[in-house]
Amino acid sequence: MLSLQGNAGKVDIIRNISLEIHAGESVGLIGPSGSGKSSLLMLMGGLERATGGSLTIAGHDIRALNEDALARFRRQNMGIVFQSFHLIPTMTALENVATPLELAGERNAFDMARAALDQVGLSHRMKHYPSQMSGGEQQRVALARAVVARPKILLADEPTGNLDGTNGAAIMDLLFSLQEEYGATLVLVTHDPTLAECCDRSVRLVDGRVQDGNTQ
Amino acid sequence: MTTALRFALRELRAGLSGFRILIACLALGVAAIAAVGTVRSGIENGLNREGAIMLGGDAEAEFTYRRADADERAWLDVQSVALSEVIDFRSMLVVQKGDQKERGLTQIKAIDTAYPLFGQLRLQTGADIATALAAHDGRPSVVVETVLAEQLGVSIGDVVILGTKEFTLSDVITYIPDSAGDGFGLGPRTIVYAADLDGSGLLGEGTLFSTKYRMVLPQGSDLAAFADTAKAQFEGAGVRWRDATNAAPGVERFVDRLGSFLILVGLAGLATGGIGVSAAVRSYLERKVSVIATLRSLGAENAVIFQTYFIQIGVLSILGIAIGLALGIGVPLMAEPLIAASLPFPINLSVYPQPVFEAVIYGALTAAIFTLWPLSRAENIKAATLFRNMVDAGPMMPRWPYIVAIVVLIAVLLGMAVWFTGSVRLTLWTAVGIFGALGILFFTAMLVRWGARALIQMSRGRPRLRWALSAMGGQNEGAASVILAIGLGLSVLAAMGQIDGNLRRAIAQDLPGVAPAYFFIDIQKSQMPAFRTMLQTNPQVTKFDEAPMLRGIVSKINDVPALEVAPDHWVIRGDRGLTYASKLPPRYDVVQGEWWPETYDGPPLISFAKDEALEIGLAIGDRITVNILGREITGTISNFRDVDFSTAGIGFVMTFNEAALSKAPHTFIATVYSDPASEAQLLRDIADAFPNITAIRIRDAIERVSNVMGSIASAVAYGAGATLLTGFLVLVGSAASSQHNRAFEAAVLKTLGATRSQILTSFAARSAMMGAAAGSVAIVVGIIGGWAINHYVMEADFAVIWSNAVAVVFGGIVANLLANIGFALKALNAAPAQILRTRE
Repeated sequence: MLSLQGNAGKVDIIRNISLEIHAGESVGLIGPSGSGKSSLLMLMGGLERATGGSLTIAGHDIRALNEDALARFRRQNMGIVFQSFHLIPTMTALENVATPLELAGERNAFDMARAALDQVGLSHRMKHYPSQMSGGEQQRVALARAVVARPKILLADEPTGNLDGTNGAAIMDLLFSLQEEYGATLVLVTHDPTLAECCDRSVRLVDGRVQDGNTQ
Repeated sequence: MTTALRFALRELRAGLSGFRILIACLALGVAAIAAVGTVRSGIENGLNREGAIMLGGDAEAEFTYRRADADERAWLDVQSVALSEVIDFRSMLVVQKGDQKERGLTQIKAIDTAYPLFGQLRLQTGADIATALAAHDGRPSVVVETVLAEQLGVSIGDVVILGTKEFTLSDVITYIPDSAGDGFGLGPRTIVYAADLDGSGLLGEGTLFSTKYRMVLPQGSDLAAFADTAKAQFEGAGVRWRDATNAAPGVERFVDRLGSFLILVGLAGLATGGIGVSAAVRSYLERKVSVIATLRSLGAENAVIFQTYFIQIGVLSILGIAIGLALGIGVPLMAEPLIAASLPFPINLSVYPQPVFEAVIYGALTAAIFTLWPLSRAENIKAATLFRNMVDAGPMMPRWPYIVAIVVLIAVLLGMAVWFTGSVRLTLWTAVGIFGALGILFFTAMLVRWGARALIQMSRGRPRLRWALSAMGGQNEGAASVILAIGLGLSVLAAMGQIDGNLRRAIAQDLPGVAPAYFFIDIQKSQMPAFRTMLQTNPQVTKFDEAPMLRGIVSKINDVPALEVAPDHWVIRGDRGLTYASKLPPRYDVVQGEWWPETYDGPPLISFAKDEALEIGLAIGDRITVNILGREITGTISNFRDVDFSTAGIGFVMTFNEAALSKAPHTFIATVYSDPASEAQLLRDIADAFPNITAIRIRDAIERVSNVMGSIASAVAYGAGATLLTGFLVLVGSAASSQHNRAFEAAVLKTLGATRSQILTSFAARSAMMGAAAGSVAIVVGIIGGWAINHYVMEADFAVIWSNAVAVVFGGIVANLLANIGFALKALNAAPAQILRTRE
């Protein structure tokens, strides 16, 4: 359960959801705006704290973790891709990709980041800043950043939402191929039913509840 | 830490945008403190380096009221390589113009042929002093300072009169090497050979004079050890001993106190800048929300995020401090010729470690104190912000470790300030003033926000006012930072304005109204009956008062050396005027104890001024030993009197019973009151009848004191000016940081059909209202601060100077309008579509 306290009072965002996702599986979360897709993804990423219920990820009850423990849990287990890329504007592509590895104290952070950028076809853009790259390129950097630490779980929040059709398709191909290559669990939030169909299963949310789909 | 350092350096690549105000605020505060410290150290160094020249010798023995006797003189002769005797006293220089006589008060330096032992006296014609003081036209010669020659309209070669003797004015003095060591004189100097004063009627018995024996000591003498020997030699003889390491203690003390006070004013400026630093950090972090949230989503812990931004702010603070140091040290160094020319004592400007250390410590601690709070709020930025356009403001107060750190840093800052200024009281009161002002301003900001929200309902139908009130009541306008920034700067300015205004009011209005026209000194006892008769029969005299006058040094209190009991009290330092009386003079009231019977002839009794007695810690029955003309007289305090020293009338700290002092050689002083129009004639009449009597015109004396006060006021005004400039910079920073919100608001209002003039009026209304709120608080804080300093530090009456207070409110409104309208115009002229698209 997730409730948020706003100026106008308490709002229940997620209610009575029971959802199990298996290791290596890909799950598409679909639903109209405000249905709670992104909020559910945030709960899974430990970016938002559930106000009730239980949430177990990779064997950990993440509701019991404090902010710093959640941060460590994320960098050891998760990669997140955002709709708006969220690259750090003062860092080059290479530095952006190396950041999660640096935070984890990885000595070969930059070599691994170079390899990840190479994998997404951006070896020629390593020293470029986000403002010097197109939207598609920025999202590819974000993808490289999400997978560089070989996370067990990939969370993607409408990764093609800010891209045109061609770039969006390229990014999705890349996302699925990387997930397959690393054997990661993928949770994908999208408006697009056809994208959701590319996943092993899809779950439809409406008004903070599961409307249909396989929740096991 | 290395990860945070790398992240911080990457972030800093974006340049200094958004940090200019932070850097400028710190730089200005540090520059003001470094400049004051550098000038103060320069003066101290100059005084030490040229100590011997200023003192006129390696060491000096000063005898009050007498010359050294044969034994004392012989001892001084044996100890020194060269010895010079200088007699110092006040008199009147007289010039005969037709059948009229012009008179000017002068401080006479009666020298011997050995003068000056160090340095060089400079005369207008370039002659040396021996040539100048040789007899001219059959008369002995004098030289006078330029200002006195101009005042009396005399030129070289004219005849002047001292006492009853004629002299030739042989030259005009342009520079006296030992003038700073002579201390504060009420008149310009005349230099004459002491031997030539024989037959002038001056320096008679009881005349107020002092004799200084300046010595050149053998090379390599240990001045401190020699001082101990000399003090032992002259024990009980009422001799004041000084050496070149402490040539001008008055100047040194004055510079030290004024410097400390100005540095505290500088600290108030730095605190104002701290508000700007705090606002800049807050605004920077607001822009960095998505970066911080992204770092969190990538697994960054709180510590890494805090360190990343702490290092960035630290680097920028170091830059601000470095710029401040460069300015604070560089500007005085470049302006050295100008500063040296305006000071009556030597200055040796250089890069001194203490002011650099002081400014760096103050700058660094202020930056840390004011950045920790906003930096702590970075913890409240959650990764969820990336998904949802909503920033959780989190709790208002930082977590306890930050609060502890801030409290510890404030304590360290206060501790350092106490150490640097040497005054716990002054530092703590300044701190109470600054924190009190910040507290009141913060409370006012909350009140303004609450008041604006409450008034919104009443402003229906007046859209411009409603927009202004909505903005002031909202969270984004930064009412708190605007009111704090402008309010603290204005509060310091208002307090300084009240102090300055009261100083000037006391000097210009209070004193002349009740003060006598003239102070007459050196009236011989034998002259008193005739003098009295003359005043009583003169219709121009409205009132006169008289008292016998001796001078003495308080040497012991209850048999303990007085300098150990109350080393800093003005009554103990140097020699004091004393008097005696059989009956209680009508100008006093006994407030404790009993006045002695009129015919009392027992052991000496003393009546002591109450306030001074309480400050020193004296009680009725305490024994005071006073050294008068080398003789020690011990008396018992029998009563305390109320003495008002502010009226420029006769007021003695100590009055003995008549039998105790009446046999010692002494003169009388008198104060004479008359209407200003007849002052000149009165002086002529008295001076013609009694040529040896010196008249001090109170108006002239007040003017000289007023000039000194004027320079203090100017120094204080510069300090307050720096604070105000910092306050204005903070305002500009605050206006700049809210520019995006203003532009968005203007764009939305324009799309809804508001005209630019309507929007501008609304922006101006909120700026004016917040400026007025800050100005009003500044008046209250300024008046309280001004009263406290006037009452406790200057011990003077206080009246609110309303013109100054109103100017402060007006200044607040104008400053806030100026800072905000400039940015508002930019926001108004931008195309709405562009702004709305950027926002999306």
